[in-house]
Amino acid sequence: MSDVDLVVETVRDILSAHEPFVLTADRPWDAGLWAALAEAGLTGVGLPEEAGGSGGELADAVAIVATLAQGAAAVPVAEQLLVAAPAVLAADLDLPAPDEPLSIAVDGAVTAEPRDDGDGPGSWTLTGTATDVAWAGVAQHLVVLATSPVGPVLALVDVTGRETTHAANLAGEPRGSLVFDGVTCAGALLTDRQATELRARYALARAVQLSAALEQVLAWTVQYAGERVQFGRPLGRFQAIQMELAEMAGEVTAVAALVDAAVQATERGESLVAAAAAAKVRAGAAVEVVARLAHQVHGAIGFTQEHRLHHLTRRCWSWRDEAGTELAWSRVLGERLLADGPDGLWPALTRVV
Amino acid sequence: MGSNSLTLAPAPRSAAAEQVREEVRAFLAEELAAGSFTTSVDTWLSGVDPAFSRKLGERGWLGMTWPEEYGGHERTAMERYAVTEELLAAGAPVAAHWIADRQSGPNLLRYGTEAQRTEILPRIAAGECFFVIGMSEPDSGSDLASIRTRATRNGDGDWVVNGAKVWTSNAHTSHYAITLVRTSPADPANRHAGLSQLLVDLSLPGITVNPIRILDGGHHFNEVVFDDVVVPGDMLLGEEGNGWHQVTAELAFERSGPERFLSTYPLVAEFARRVAADPDPAGLAALGRLSARLLALRQMSLRIAAALDRGELPDIPAALVKDVGTTFEADVIDEVRRAVDVVASLDSPDPLGRALAEAQLHAPGYTLRGGTNEILRGIVARGLGLR
Repeated sequence: MSDVDLVVETVRDILSAHEPFVLTADRPWDAGLWAALAEAGLTGVGLPEEAGGSGGELADAVAIVATLAQGAAAVPVAEQLLVAAPAVLAADLDLPAPDEPLSIAVDGAVTAEPRDDGDGPGSWTLTGTATDVAWAGVAQHLVVLATSPVGPVLALVDVTGRETTHAANLAGEPRGSLVFDGVTCAGALLTDRQATELRARYALARAVQLSAALEQVLAWTVQYAGERVQFGRPLGRFQAIQMELAEMAGEVTAVAALVDAAVQATERGESLVAAAAAAKVRAGAAVEVVARLAHQVHGAIGFTQEHRLHHLTRRCWSWRDEAGTELAWSRVLGERLLADGPDGLWPALTRVV
Repeated sequence: MGSNSLTLAPAPRSAAAEQVREEVRAFLAEELAAGSFTTSVDTWLSGVDPAFSRKLGERGWLGMTWPEEYGGHERTAMERYAVTEELLAAGAPVAAHWIADRQSGPNLLRYGTEAQRTEILPRIAAGECFFVIGMSEPDSGSDLASIRTRATRNGDGDWVVNGAKVWTSNAHTSHYAITLVRTSPADPANRHAGLSQLLVDLSLPGITVNPIRILDGGHHFNEVVFDDVVVPGDMLLGEEGNGWHQVTAELAFERSGPERFLSTYPLVAEFARRVAADPDPAGLAALGRLSARLLALRQMSLRIAAALDRGELPDIPAALVKDVGTTFEADVIDEVRRAVDVVASLDSPDPLGRALAEAQLHAPGYTLRGGTNEILRGIVARGLGLR
């Protein structure tokens, strides 16, 4: 058994004791699941031990995120392991303890004023509103991508107890806003390229979640089609249903192939913006087909909160819009692919992943 | 990640493939500059140019994965993938040799006699011997087991063939047809029994090739009629009665390559030129959406090439790639139409209008040839355990 398999096995064991539930304002996340994951050291995987992490590779962190996505786990692990914590380390800031949820805010209008010379990790004053913040009110620490007179700034703020507006995505995951009124925090100046790559990593994290969730939705739907009997035979024996399931499988396989390749490109340290953009766009496009057909095959029961299907389809409907919409990343991808001029599309395509 | 039989391992990076890719690019740039061909859509069906095929043969880009003793070059499927992908992306005229290189050669390697291989394979690899697919018939399309072309042994041990094949692309410019025939009477209890493959020299007496024009007026399709055609007894391919099994294996090769998502790539490239000239947000977004789909298909197809290098015959993933890929080929047309002002016409002064017209008039074929998408989805459903 490989290290990755072992990690997946451990996450599945923990998940088996934490069924997904309908998220509400009063119960916006699965604190018990988070505690169990943190206890097992899984909220620090892929982060070096000397920085307080659990060690391991990016591939291990990706496997954890994918497995949790399949389980519709209401915890900020994707944000922490794949986006915020690596960004904190890359900026040479002090990583918060991995058992304290760390998330990321890239939207809204937040400005940072340097409190010192401002050209390295240092102290900044944050002002403005961060919007659509994943796990607002749940996260204890927040990486904020802010603007400053000297360029983009990666700020790390302790937001424990800070007031947030109540807003949620289609699955009930918290996506509120936070107001900063001259908050002092640690931060580091980024280049524009680093800021773009941070957004791209966030998009890739969502793509990893989408890929895993879509695969699970297909598996559930195939299983349901095999069990549900109508007209004297299982749904899956009807050719019309088989065509739908095959179409879903095509989408799921396409997404997995591209997302895996984008993750591998990231592991190799290649420029990830175009790869992440492509992965996010392709995964988002697949949601339309896979979620629609999954609900069609499941019939009325899949349209209720009594059945598990909504835990993943509602998340997929939101994740495809988050961390940069499909439209926004489509444009970015189009621009990147034309960077070498009007005849450069094909060479660019063969370089992306 | 994944646990169903549709999932293949990611393809490893291949330095050799990237090396040959650069060589092909340089060759294509020279050929384009010299005016030896003009880019067009769907050239693996319509771009017949025997001289171009011979040039590829001279450079070692045909029969790439075959043993050297048969004229091959013992390179990997990943390298062959890079070569075929570059040729298709450039819209190069590859139709003359395409079937022979892609599936007839591998079929001969797998099932041919030593004499058949020695005689024919080096000529295919040289770009001098072209093949057609003799499967469909007037009354047998997707239901291949219902074919009625018959072959019976005469007193000399030769085969006497009667019947007709249709949609045989480029039979009028090719040398051989691997022809699926019924060699024993149909058995309702076992529809797949009694079928065999014959290597039929298309110059034999009794063969008539009648053109069937496709929607743009092009002559690629034919009806091939066999009227008491005497095929030498040693031209049986593989085992008598094993035709169904052999055809199934052949189709796996037929379904796995980049031509299943790049047939309309020259239209995408022309669209990109238009967007580059006028990069409005809608055009950029449409280009991004198309490219994301294409990038996913490349990864799927590369995984199949890597699986072939591991010695696997991934027939179910190949069916799935072809379903998703050919759907994409047709979708390109309407994505482009919605993003930019363009009118499709073969006579358009605008290269985008011409590419759009070519792609549109060929579009019905993408999701039919090599097994309709409905047949493919049935195969995928089997892979999902549903049948």
